Amino acid sequence: MAQVRLVSITKKFGETTVIPGLDLDIADREFVVLVGPSGCGKTTTLRMIAGLEEASGGNIFVGERDVTNLRPGLRNCAMVFQNYALYPHMSVRDNIAYGLKVRKTPKHEVERLVNDAARILELDSMLDRRPKNLSGGQRQRVAIGRAIVREPDVFLFDEPLSNLDAKLRIEMRTEIKNLHQRLKATMVYVTHDQVEAMTLADRVVVMKDGIIEQVADPITLYENPANTFVASFIGSPSMNFLSVKLIRKESTFFVELAEGSKLKVPESMNKRFEPYIDHTLTLGIRPEHLENAGEAHPAVANVQVNVLEPLGPHTLLLGQIGQEKLTAQIEARSNVRPGVTYPIGFSMDQIHIFDSKSGRVL
Amino acid sequence: MNKNSNQKIITQILCIAWLIFTLFPLYWIFVTSFKSPIAVTGGPTYLPWIDFEPTLNAWHDAFSGSRGDFFATFFNSVWISVAASLIAVVFGSMAAYALVRFTFKVKLLAGVVFAASGMSCYLLAKEIFDWKDTTSMGFAFLCALILSVTSNRLPLPGPILRNNDVVFWFVSQRMMPPIVSAFALYMLYSKIGKDSGVRLLDSFAGLTLCYVAFSLPLVVWLMRDFFESLPIEVEEAALVDDVPRWRIFLEIVIPMAKPGLVAVTMITIGFVWNEFLFALILTTGDWQTLPVLLSGQNSYRGDEWWAIAVANIIAIAPMLIITILLGRMMRSGLMLGSIR
Repeated sequence: MAQVRLVSITKKFGETTVIPGLDLDIADREFVVLVGPSGCGKTTTLRMIAGLEEASGGNIFVGERDVTNLRPGLRNCAMVFQNYALYPHMSVRDNIAYGLKVRKTPKHEVERLVNDAARILELDSMLDRRPKNLSGGQRQRVAIGRAIVREPDVFLFDEPLSNLDAKLRIEMRTEIKNLHQRLKATMVYVTHDQVEAMTLADRVVVMKDGIIEQVADPITLYENPANTFVASFIGSPSMNFLSVKLIRKESTFFVELAEGSKLKVPESMNKRFEPYIDHTLTLGIRPEHLENAGEAHPAVANVQVNVLEPLGPHTLLLGQIGQEKLTAQIEARSNVRPGVTYPIGFSMDQIHIFDSKSGRVL
Repeated sequence: MNKNSNQKIITQILCIAWLIFTLFPLYWIFVTSFKSPIAVTGGPTYLPWIDFEPTLNAWHDAFSGSRGDFFATFFNSVWISVAASLIAVVFGSMAAYALVRFTFKVKLLAGVVFAASGMSCYLLAKEIFDWKDTTSMGFAFLCALILSVTSNRLPLPGPILRNNDVVFWFVSQRMMPPIVSAFALYMLYSKIGKDSGVRLLDSFAGLTLCYVAFSLPLVVWLMRDFFESLPIEVEEAALVDDVPRWRIFLEIVIPMAKPGLVAVTMITIGFVWNEFLFALILTTGDWQTLPVLLSGQNSYRGDEWWAIAVANIIAIAPMLIITILLGRMMRSGLMLGSIR
């Protein structure tokens, strides 16, 4: 068991800098998910921990060991790949046992480890099959089995579920989470799916262009995003962003939308926003914090309804305020129709205010 | 519907016509080998027992050795083509794998150093030390190799050759007409034979080595494509699992590339089996191969087509059998289940 420490890691491919400098501490037994859009350097980071990619600068520690210049095999990491990467000419049993055999583990020990892994992953009945006779989910379980028997310091997952269909992905997600609770091992997991990131992680690392935008536990990430990128990336459907002006009337603060509506800012936030009076800012609010406005709602704006998407428990209203797009989550049975203008209420204690230029939260 | 089935019938007729067209030469050789001289010279005959009375005379002649030693020549061909192909495939696939998975940087100047030091060391040894030709060549080769490898490590200016250039260099070996190297090789072999007593002309080793050298470019080029198509993640999974490179190559890459290896081995065996020019120039009798014997049939006792047909069948049959046997191992789908 071991912590992982990345100290000012950089990566260049020729002239292109993929990761300009990255620091990350992963605690022992922690489940950390690296998430971000494609090309953000998350997979490269994982591959550098595994040793499959050489770091251009900086140091990587696994446990107390500096593994920066060690070859992959000596880092005691186990990796699960997106496309499974099973040995096609070996049976499931041999796939799982191959690494052990190469390392000359005693036969009865190999047997025990393989059987244990097979039991945990419910592969018992398939040990003698070839990978080509398995379904996608089973193949990925074999790949995970291969990682488990290694008894590694760190498990590395490179988008292991993205080749599976939606239903299987949710099942395997639960299995991986169970596995983490059972093995109590350090796990680093890469995905571009924010739902996967939120559901699995103890801590989520949101990356963009090789830079860490925010590291936090899933709830903090959702409630207190550090900037507009994190705010828009985490949560589904995405957070709404509206251009607003912060104004003060006597001791009360308002945000004024582009089309003119004024929404009262809760007093508890006054102190935080005081320096930004009369600045043009970005208001962020999640669709689930918008609602059908009753008559007595304190903060209402009129929304031009374009499309309605009923989801069952609630309905998504896609519309616009002035020129700005807005998605609201409203009651399933409401009398809204596309084409009309409809009053939407803002839960003002759930708003986020961002600097329009830097995107940083205020 | 009607139009569709008409098309089908036309397609089938065309296919059968093409089949007859391609198989007829084989049939012709086959029946000719059972003809008597009269059945051949007295105008075309096609069907045994109807057009002509089949006879085994030509086959008797071939096996009695009156038209050249078919047995020995046949096995010469077998040993040489099998040995040359295996050696070429073993070394060629290792080279191809290295060219796919590792980065090579060869400085052009280091290549120039190789050429220049090779020539000057030869002259030095030959003219000043007055060594024998073969010794001088060996000395020059060693010196050039050491000097160029050393100079490649120095910060030399100029262009750097990478993996693709190395592959091109391999393939370029096959660009010049083989006759150019055939005579040079003859001279080299005879010099080595004279100077050191190692017999390469008209020997198993000499011809095999020559065929290995000339098959290698093809093997490297083809195997590189096969290795490139293998998913690198499978090897990375093994790397992370601390499997040594040579075991990854032998136990994971080779089994995955088996269809490719089989195909390339077949192509190489075919190439060596049919090769004529080198066999003609580098052998005189003991290690003659079938193509040389076959070409001699025409002038041996005049164009006795029944005998030539027998010789042809002896040359064709093994390749047919190999193709049928190995063709089964080339079936695709072996990679299924590894990824995706």
